[in-house]
Amino acid sequence: MTGRADPAETLAYVDDCLDAAARGEFETRLKADPELRREVAQWESQNRAIRAAFGAPSRNALDLGGASNENAVRQPSEAARSLEGAARPFGQPRKKRATARPVAKPRRAGPGPAARRVFGAIALAAAIVWAGLPALGPRPPAALVAAGASAARALADLPAEFAAGDPAALAQRIGPRLALTPPLAPGLQLVGARLASGSQTTATLYLYENSHGARVALMIEPLDEITAAPARRGEADGLSVAAWTGAGYGFVAAARDDADVAALVAAAGADDEFLADASLQRR
Amino acid sequence: MSSVREWSDDAGALRRFGLALVRDDRYVFDDVAASALIEKLFRQASLTLVDGPGADRRAARVRAFAQFVRLYRRHARRLAVDEDGGWIETPPSGRSCGSAAVGVRSLPLELREALLLVALAGFTHREAAEALDLPLAVVIDRLLRARARLAAHMAASRDAVVAWPQNAHLRIVK
Repeated sequence: MTGRADPAETLAYVDDCLDAAARGEFETRLKADPELRREVAQWESQNRAIRAAFGAPSRNALDLGGASNENAVRQPSEAARSLEGAARPFGQPRKKRATARPVAKPRRAGPGPAARRVFGAIALAAAIVWAGLPALGPRPPAALVAAGASAARALADLPAEFAAGDPAALAQRIGPRLALTPPLAPGLQLVGARLASGSQTTATLYLYENSHGARVALMIEPLDEITAAPARRGEADGLSVAAWTGAGYGFVAAARDDADVAALVAAAGADDEFLADASLQRR
Repeated sequence: MSSVREWSDDAGALRRFGLALVRDDRYVFDDVAASALIEKLFRQASLTLVDGPGADRRAARVRAFAQFVRLYRRHARRLAVDEDGGWIETPPSGRSCGSAAVGVRSLPLELREALLLVALAGFTHREAAEALDLPLAVVIDRLLRARARLAAHMAASRDAVVAWPQNAHLRIVK
């Protein structure tokens, strides 16, 4: 057939409106007419562009595959063989790669795992026997004990910043956040208070004097979210120390004499059950 | 394919067609306004979509698209009367963007609706004529004109992109 195709027929072909017979006949003409092929290709590309521009799925399923990706269908060994046999640039010989040998596990010197477990258990048991069993239950923080002991050591013998013998008046001068009303212990006289550095914040150091004129200190530090712990007694910085926590405060009583510390603990209403604290004693 | 899937396909095609049809450079400038208008027209037009298979579904699809076209024509005519009375010929935007979407939007409504029914919604020429309530020859004529205009638009955009380095007034800075 000669001559140009009817544009309406071309349009019908592009828009898939021809029946099978007419379509076959048109495709025969299409093969012989490059101008017609160009026009059909242009209109088909318009269709694709319109469908892509407005998010419509493509009419023809995309050919994603199979043979177009040759590496996907090749076996790994085949790929390796072709690499080995491939030509090198400038005629260079390809080096043969040596076959990798499995790395032997290094032999360990010394006892095996089971023997190490046994030795570890023996060492742990020996340490427990040497140090004694640790006291169970909650205990005051070590930082609180250390802060109380060092404050007592450094400040207890200095003049009181707030000198007063009345506990309520003294607590009122210091303020409700920092100070609880100090306890009055038999045999101890309240002489005043100082501010001291606690383990976490500013603390109040109440100062007492015993019958011999020796100073006894009770540090009270406000602590957030502190678990109540009964009093534990020991030695730190050469002083007899007892520490306990409760009601959002940490308490550290420190003196040279154990009896003064015990009197303060009792007056404060702390747990009477004193537990020997090995960690404090070894300081 | 289940009937629910078919209905969903038809509804999606109708929404896509609606979005492409109502977005032009004269009345509906942004996607938010287009979405609101499409929802309004879609609610009325999609009532005729049915779940049934075969010829019934095909006929219902044509009816739904025809209803959408009628509703939008009425909407555009009302807007045009409010302005200057001419509603068929939408002036081209003048923007030189190479996308087919801009080229389609710059077409007049009469050409745009015919082209979108066939190229986007997949209607045959006879179905498009039925949906547009026009003779088949008129639809084919509109399709040919629409494709010629779209090809010219895309070629002009392509030429503008290609010619950019010569047209650009760039100053050489040391």
